[in-house]
Amino acid sequence: MNINKYPEIQPGKKLIKRIYVAVFMWFFARAIQAAAKVDEEVKKEVETIPANFTLRLIVNPEKAFPLFFYAKMLPRFIVDKGILLYGLQMIMGKDKKGKFRYQGSDPRGKKINLSMAFTSLEAAMMVFTFRESLCTGYAHSRFVVEGDLPFAQSIMRIMDLTAVFLLPKIVAKLVVKRYPKWSEMSPLRKYLNRVLVYLRMFTV
Amino acid sequence: MLLPSFYDFCCRVKTISGNKALEKIPALLAGMNAYRPLIITDKGVASAGLVDVVKKAMENKLKIGAVYDDVPMDSDYKIVNDAVRVYRQKGCDSIIAIGGGSVIDTAKGVNIVASLGGDNLLDYEGYGAVKRKLKPFVVVPTTAGTGSEMTLVAVITDPDRKIKMNFVSYFLLPDLAVLDPRMTRTLPAFLTASTAMDAMTHACEAYFCIEKNPISDSFAFRAITMISENLLNVVKNPGNLNGRLALANASTMAGAAFSNSMVGMVHNLGHTVGALCHVPHGVAMSIFLPYGLEYNLHRSADIIGEILFPLAGPEVYASTRKKHRAERVIELIRKLNQDLHDATGGKHPRFLKEIYDRNGSPVVPQSMLPVIAQAIMLDGARLTNPEELLPEDARMVLEHAWEGTPLDRKKIKKGGRKVKY
Repeated sequence: MNINKYPEIQPGKKLIKRIYVAVFMWFFARAIQAAAKVDEEVKKEVETIPANFTLRLIVNPEKAFPLFFYAKMLPRFIVDKGILLYGLQMIMGKDKKGKFRYQGSDPRGKKINLSMAFTSLEAAMMVFTFRESLCTGYAHSRFVVEGDLPFAQSIMRIMDLTAVFLLPKIVAKLVVKRYPKWSEMSPLRKYLNRVLVYLRMFTV
Repeated sequence: MLLPSFYDFCCRVKTISGNKALEKIPALLAGMNAYRPLIITDKGVASAGLVDVVKKAMENKLKIGAVYDDVPMDSDYKIVNDAVRVYRQKGCDSIIAIGGGSVIDTAKGVNIVASLGGDNLLDYEGYGAVKRKLKPFVVVPTTAGTGSEMTLVAVITDPDRKIKMNFVSYFLLPDLAVLDPRMTRTLPAFLTASTAMDAMTHACEAYFCIEKNPISDSFAFRAITMISENLLNVVKNPGNLNGRLALANASTMAGAAFSNSMVGMVHNLGHTVGALCHVPHGVAMSIFLPYGLEYNLHRSADIIGEILFPLAGPEVYASTRKKHRAERVIELIRKLNQDLHDATGGKHPRFLKEIYDRNGSPVVPQSMLPVIAQAIMLDGARLTNPEELLPEDARMVLEHAWEGTPLDRKKIKKGGRKVKY
């Protein structure tokens, strides 16, 4: 029997989708970090999370981003920086000072407390293109949550609030279960925090 | 019929139901190459003589390795490790759990360690730690409510860390669930009422929450029919064995439904009140169910309205206009609670302020409501509820549930797009 007649099947590349998801994750992680700094409600949610808590949002299969295959050819400092080289994933953590920060996409040496893993690139696209909200995505098994489950609720709430600050109402309504009315979130808070979140995303 | 764009469903528990169902266990265990089971139960079940009923049903056909009856109300991992030692010392090859939720969860824990090796359950905590088939496992439920015989989860306490640990795997599903009316015959009327309302809540929430799917819908539909047709009758006539068998079946079907569709805010509030004030789960479910339906009414009125068919029958369903059906469901659930309250001589509470402990003190003081409302954010059932539930919303619901008044609909916050199933 010629075993070479039965080659291993490699996953498809889908380069544009991978780049979209990678860029979206980077934006979103930076936005969460900024929102945790500027909004009181997000701050309160972050306070409920214990110190040294690490969250990983990942798209399975791990190490599937094309750049990973070229990692060996890239200079060491770029590889160590980790962005986009360890598969489609973002890692966020709360440090001892209570700051919730984006920690790149290199999982090496980190103890992951909570992992939210999208089952496939297409599943991630469903959520990241706002065709499904986070809750609907969860209900449709687009992602699997593992680890310290009680804190997943806080993380989901933080993500919802960040989406409200980040996105215009017409899009944010697709992402959250209930878009906050003026009585829940004043326009001043919403628009001021939106400006601050965008500013901090690109400057800090 | 609503077809979600995506769903998954898994239920692979062989279920046998009927009079003398217990007598089938030896042959079915032999079919799994198991001849020496460990019986796991609690003192209450043992003293009610239910273990003797099982033993008698299997006498001369199966040698029982040992009976472990030290499972407390809230089982912890040390009990599991203790039971594993008994399992090994007595050379057992399978497990029979006789009891309610705590006993079944303990038995699932014992099965993990006994099958996979080691001597500490903590080594297998979390999702995905159990990756292969476990020892033959039979469940004989003695309450018609929890549905644990159909779920893939075991919740076991770690008293040192003061947390409840989740063990989740499809391999935790029992091989066999045995529903025999003799096992629930001695259940007191008020416990029959609250456990059956727990099953009713499983079925209703499985039907209207966002993870619903056509297969779980059919389980939920039939479960609601059986409970509404038999519950009051069984509470009034505890010796009605056919009615008890119907309730046991309904509980199992509701378990299969909610295990795949998940639950919503009724369980979110119930888990939190249970954890903070030690309100029995079934009691909390029966109190919160009408409020859960009412709170989600603006989101899922059509779907909640469909529950009227199994709840009240085809005549009532057909004679009620579509726009009034959901309201009628809420009305009927409240009426069922009131009827159960009357039939049990007031032992079935209708609202939170009616729950008292053995010393006559209120179990849920009004001052606890803000604390409970804040704690709901830690429970996963919040995610699959159709409408968003935040602490201020929960507090509003809790205040009404404490007083026993219907929700003030104007206070329910609305917004966001139509629920996508």
